[in-house]
Amino acid sequence: MTKAQSLWNHGVKIGAIGGVSVLIIALVGMIESFGKRDIISGILPMGIAMALIICILVAYIAANKTPICEKSVKFANAVISGFVTSGFLALLVAIGRSFNIRDMFVGASPALYKALTAGIAGAGGIFLILAVGLICGIFAGILIILNDLPRKLIINALATIFVLGLLQELIIPIFKSWDFGVTNYLGKLFYTQNGLTIFGTVLAAVIYCIISLLWKANQDTIKTTYKDLPKGTRKKVKTFGFFVLAVFLIVLPQFLGLFLSEVLTIVGLYILLGLGLNIVVGYAGLLDLGYVAFFAIGSYVVAILTSPEIFSFGFNFWQALPIAVILGITAGVMLGIPVLKMRGDYLAIATLGFGEIIRILVLSDFLKPWLGGAQGIGAIPNPNFMGFQMVKPQHIYYLILAGCMLVVFISIRLKNSRLGRAWMAMREDEDVAQAMGINLVATKLFAFATGAGFSALSGAIFASKIGSVYPHSFNLFISINVVCLIIIGGIGSLPGVVVGAAVLMGLPELLREFAEYRMFVYGAALVAMMLLRPEGLWPEARHKIELHGDDETQTQTAA
Amino acid sequence: MILLSIQEMTKRFGGLVALDALNIEVKGKTIHSIIGPNGAGKTTFFNCLTGFYRPEEGEVAFEGNSIVGLSPDRIVYKGIARTYQNIRLFPNLTALENVMIGYHVHLKSGFLGPILGLKSTIKEEAKAKEVALDLLKYVKMEGKEDALAKNFPYGEQRKLEMARALASQPKLLLLDEPTAGMNPRETQDMMDFIEHMRDELGITIVLIEHQMRVVMNISDIVTVLDYGKMIAEGLPEEIKNNKTVIEAYLGSGDAADSH
Repeated sequence: MTKAQSLWNHGVKIGAIGGVSVLIIALVGMIESFGKRDIISGILPMGIAMALIICILVAYIAANKTPICEKSVKFANAVISGFVTSGFLALLVAIGRSFNIRDMFVGASPALYKALTAGIAGAGGIFLILAVGLICGIFAGILIILNDLPRKLIINALATIFVLGLLQELIIPIFKSWDFGVTNYLGKLFYTQNGLTIFGTVLAAVIYCIISLLWKANQDTIKTTYKDLPKGTRKKVKTFGFFVLAVFLIVLPQFLGLFLSEVLTIVGLYILLGLGLNIVVGYAGLLDLGYVAFFAIGSYVVAILTSPEIFSFGFNFWQALPIAVILGITAGVMLGIPVLKMRGDYLAIATLGFGEIIRILVLSDFLKPWLGGAQGIGAIPNPNFMGFQMVKPQHIYYLILAGCMLVVFISIRLKNSRLGRAWMAMREDEDVAQAMGINLVATKLFAFATGAGFSALSGAIFASKIGSVYPHSFNLFISINVVCLIIIGGIGSLPGVVVGAAVLMGLPELLREFAEYRMFVYGAALVAMMLLRPEGLWPEARHKIELHGDDETQTQTAA
Repeated sequence: MILLSIQEMTKRFGGLVALDALNIEVKGKTIHSIIGPNGAGKTTFFNCLTGFYRPEEGEVAFEGNSIVGLSPDRIVYKGIARTYQNIRLFPNLTALENVMIGYHVHLKSGFLGPILGLKSTIKEEAKAKEVALDLLKYVKMEGKEDALAKNFPYGEQRKLEMARALASQPKLLLLDEPTAGMNPRETQDMMDFIEHMRDELGITIVLIEHQMRVVMNISDIVTVLDYGKMIAEGLPEEIKNNKTVIEAYLGSGDAADSH
């Protein structure tokens, strides 16, 4: 490939992809609606930050994909790509100002143009956009040329700032709730009412760099010291680590306040769901898109047994819970039997149908006398723990935490067992697994049943937390959310489920502007993940295992 | 002693007769090679033995008991294991896990055992790991147990597949072209290894093979298939000089002359 070709293929074309991406987020109104929130107070609104990130990222990818080793070509590609990306936005502003395109694109408002041009009217604004694009490209080009260490430092420091800005609604209340002199001071030092202070931004970046440099310098010594410890002491260190984690999780809701605890319970319920589906999809490789069915069954069983509205069985939560889980497991087996022979896409479609069947049954007039139809079932009492009424989200949090602990424990134990290996063998190659003596029927049904049981547990807690159940709470999107969070977290990875749930469920609750674009962002995130990090945010350890033989092939290709 | 006896086994795919009334007897602790031109039905024969296909007619007796119609997972329990022509490991699992899955039939724990951490389960797992590590050592892959199967070079993948098959501690091992794609040195190693399995482990081996050097060197008996029919059977020396066999491979003598 000649240099000119590379400039066209990597610089211009990839830049155009970036340009289209930025156009989309501008035209759907994301830049504008995220513009009300600042990452850095008064300087950098979140919407603009998103556009900048895309611009820099695309320029970086353009340079990275350049097959020509010469740094000058890479640098040129980054600059071109950044410039082309911004060119699309400049064009949008130029056209949008002269013609009315709002009939087609609702998001193309004067406010958007103002946000993009920082309020500069006329050609000056357009030149500003192009200049910023150029700067982004140059910045990405510099990143490419830099050595590994400074590049990582800069990227991660910027990411730290972005995350701190993104999570301000999470961090500020924590500072406030402590109400010590120190925390109040820190809170004011870092944050304004909206966004980071300039001083806080710089400080955060500096602190990050210092910590990571310190870690880099001492990493090896710390690791070897840990390895050289006698086995007993190492175990003690580990136990201590778990103890700290446990204490942290237990005291967490105490300084989170009502709203954040509520968010935490939602994330927790999705973690429970994710852990269950992780067994079905992650371990056994059975793509189940009707997972919400078991969640619904768990909820409705608890509702029917505990609510006085339709029947008055008069069960309390603890009596209803095991019944809900057992019925969930039964439903899992019953769904499993007809789809035993199905694989891949067909299985996904069949299970998708099952999820809808349950929702429609619940909604139907036919079953209304028992299930309440569209009105659902209300007046579900809160769980009562040894005479203590669990009313607030902070209380339910502990219930969910206990559930998660139990499910994580079961998942870990099962994974490293005969059954877990059978699941994974089945995922890898069903025929060969059977030829190894694995009974496919039993193994599949165990996977469906275990997943369904966890889901029903989550549903049971959900019902008693909300206090009422409606058919529309159990729509397809729950299944899709859970599948997404597993994929984004890392298929088959337990920490991945937690991270995935926190990112996909927690963030939208914290950023309410987000809610409108939820599905859009999920779609974009899935595509981006598949392209850039197919193993997920926190993949299972095995995916990172590198092998000696692998190094050899790498050196061969390099030679 | 006859370990495996196949009588009148017929397998059809629609109108195509893949196996045509086969009669084969495999004696215990021998290396029995199955050869034949491409499409002769060799792999179909393996698939019928291991339960992947169900033959339309005929009887298969293993140690005197019929195994026709059993599912593949039941047949492993009887003591038959196999490898595949195109290696079929569990690519995203580690070498150790691959071999431990081979040991599946000797483990008993179910759902509750591992969750409750029962003593019997823990003991069983430790034993499984020990067996698997021993087998990896046996195929000269010690120290590589934590690497993913897909990352091994070709030769080691073959060996790993062999170790996985051995983990079920079979009495009969079906090897489908174990030396395919190997250089002469690796082929020699594989031949030694196969003989070693027969002599030291006492395993009966049925071997599909294309390299005549291998077949002629290590087979105790050779069966030749062509179009699903057995056309010859005998000692390697006899097969080498058998006219029908030469015709099947090279075409009829007249045609060969005219070229």
